[in-house]
Amino acid sequence: MTEFQSSATSGSAVDMLGIVKDFDTFRAVDDVTLKIQPNEFFTLLGPSGCGKTTLLRLMAGFETPTTGSILLGTKDISRLPPNHRPINTVFQSYALFPHMTVAENIGFGLKMLGRSRSEIKVTVDEMLRLVRLEGRGDSLVTRLSGGQQQRVALARGLAPRPQILLLDEPLSALDLKLRQSMQIELKRLQAETGITFVFVTHDQEEALTMSDRIAVMNAGKVLQVGSSRDIYEHPADRFVAGFIGETNFLQGDLEAVDGMSGTVRLKNGVRVSAGLSEEAPRHGAITIVIRPEHIEITDVGAAGSIAATVATVVYFGTDTHIHTHLADGTPVIIRQQNRRDGSRAPQTNALIGLVLPLGASQVLRD
Amino acid sequence: MATDVDIAEAQLSHKRWLTAPALLCITLFGMVPLITVMSYSLMQPSEYGGVVPKFSPDAYISLLFQRDVFDDALTFSPDYLIIFARTVAFGAATTLLCLLIGFPTAYFMATRSPDTRNRWVLLITIPFWSNLLVRTIAIMFIIRDEGLINMIMLSLDLINAPVGIIFTDFAIVLGLIYSFLPFMILPIYAALEKVDFRLAEAGFDLYASRFQVLWRIIIPLAMPGIITGCVLVFIPTFGAYVTPLLLGGGRHMMIGDLIALQFGSSRNWPLGSAFATVLMGFVLLALYIQARKAMGVSHG
Ligand SMILES: Nc1ncnc2c1ncn2[C@@H]1O[C@H](COP(=O)(O)OP(=O)(O)OP(=O)(O)O)[C@@H](O)[C@H]1O
Ligand SMILES: [Mg+2]
Repeated sequence: MTEFQSSATSGSAVDMLGIVKDFDTFRAVDDVTLKIQPNEFFTLLGPSGCGKTTLLRLMAGFETPTTGSILLGTKDISRLPPNHRPINTVFQSYALFPHMTVAENIGFGLKMLGRSRSEIKVTVDEMLRLVRLEGRGDSLVTRLSGGQQQRVALARGLAPRPQILLLDEPLSALDLKLRQSMQIELKRLQAETGITFVFVTHDQEEALTMSDRIAVMNAGKVLQVGSSRDIYEHPADRFVAGFIGETNFLQGDLEAVDGMSGTVRLKNGVRVSAGLSEEAPRHGAITIVIRPEHIEITDVGAAGSIAATVATVVYFGTDTHIHTHLADGTPVIIRQQNRRDGSRAPQTNALIGLVLPLGASQVLRD
Repeated sequence: MATDVDIAEAQLSHKRWLTAPALLCITLFGMVPLITVMSYSLMQPSEYGGVVPKFSPDAYISLLFQRDVFDDALTFSPDYLIIFARTVAFGAATTLLCLLIGFPTAYFMATRSPDTRNRWVLLITIPFWSNLLVRTIAIMFIIRDEGLINMIMLSLDLINAPVGIIFTDFAIVLGLIYSFLPFMILPIYAALEKVDFRLAEAGFDLYASRFQVLWRIIIPLAMPGIITGCVLVFIPTFGAYVTPLLLGGGRHMMIGDLIALQFGSSRNWPLGSAFATVLMGFVLLALYIQARKAMGVSHG
């Protein structure tokens, strides 16, 4: 393991440089460049089929890139087989060895690395403690519950102290309660072990709450890499804006541009000012995006407001979602936090005015 | 109140009746021949075949001893023991070789795409479409001195004179392998087909080499199929009769031939029955040991 750990200090933990992966004629990963930092909780987020698993399998060594290279520290590992990479995987299906006990599963990697019996036992006990399965070492894995199997899979991946732990939707088979407690558990394990986690999910909420940084993928490409806040507040394009959280899209024309902001004339004649991202178009017909919680409600007809009709009002405990549509039929969702005074959410079919506050709306690259 | 119990009991006795045909079959086709053979082995031979219903342990004694024609003294004679040992050795060799050929074959089949697998299974069963005797004679044509193998080797100048393959121990084992290989392949294939090959990836990911993945993950998971295959090959070799007779040229008998001889030209039914009984005991013992092992495997 010493040979593995030596390179961990220099720069990124993993560099993926211009990775392309073709399956016959199908391009599953399309020119992906990623730099994953040491000790980072890094998440790959994207819809089903966008190439997340393929990217993970490229890192693990189950696939080799068609072009591009993968660096671990400074070493090119693109062509190394999985058993020569200090990278372990927690599989979505867990893939625990059914003919072995919990302890044998956890100790398997160390055994294959040729560690002594006593060292394996010490590490396995430590891992059992870490994943809170003390005393279950001799159980058969087939006798464990889903959540327990999940934790054995984690312990098995962590036991050889890999430089990188890859997790492919490890929580998707668990029910909501268990999933939430495992999310916290995973964060704790990552912090305690200091191992770089590359986590795959298609659940945006899970990605936002757990990650240091997120890479949003679609159709084999990485569209944006950034912190949860970056991605939520400054989505790079319409896809990211739509995929992460709820978003409203409004059509309009860009009338004037002033550096990083511009004046947009919406279809119904109302003018709003919107931020312009770097790659956003600078003229013509555009779409602005605005988050539901950023829209304010006022009386219909108030200056600078857009008239909208309330379709449904859904109470969510902490907040209320108000589904409306504009005169031309464009749907707009507004999210209001519920106050203690039980203040007035608009009634269904009411006519209200919507205000887009300065700086809340943005024009994005399509 | 009691009605529930009555109904349950009525159903139970009803169910007992349902097992009657099965019990009858087992008794008629299993137990009766078995008991007949066992009791024949303890009787005296009749001169023209059959038995004289008088008790005699002679058949068992003559398994190991020869009775002197003049003074009735018993001397140890290992002839039958040698045939028995040869049978076990041929059976073991056949089983081992079938395993060595069968496992990779089954592995190959199980790793094909699901729709081509059935085609492979069909191919494996093709030999069963014809009669064993015909197939054995076909082998004779291939391995005899003027046969296909020698012809090819001669024409390629690999050899100067035909190599004697037929009528050797090798020919017998070859014939046995050919006859029983599918019984090894199919159970192993069935076991491997159920193995989740993602587990092999997991092993590979955890620093296991290809060999270690095979040895520590694939083989243990296929073990029930391997054991079944070994039992299905090893035990029927004891009954092999046509193969050693034709391919061994009758020079090296196996116990199947010996038993056939006793019921045929030797007209010593008690001795034949005694062989059969001892053989059965041996097979039961082997099965018992295998079952114990299989239990050990499935309990981890
Ligand atoms: N071995 C393969 N051969 C051919 N196509 C493949 C192969 N593996 C993946 N693909 C294709 O590549 C695309 C990306 O697959 P991948 O499994 O990486 O998606 P994913 O993002 O993990 O999706 P999900 O969220 O559903 O797991 C899919 O369209 C898939 O059909
Ligand atoms: Mg996937």
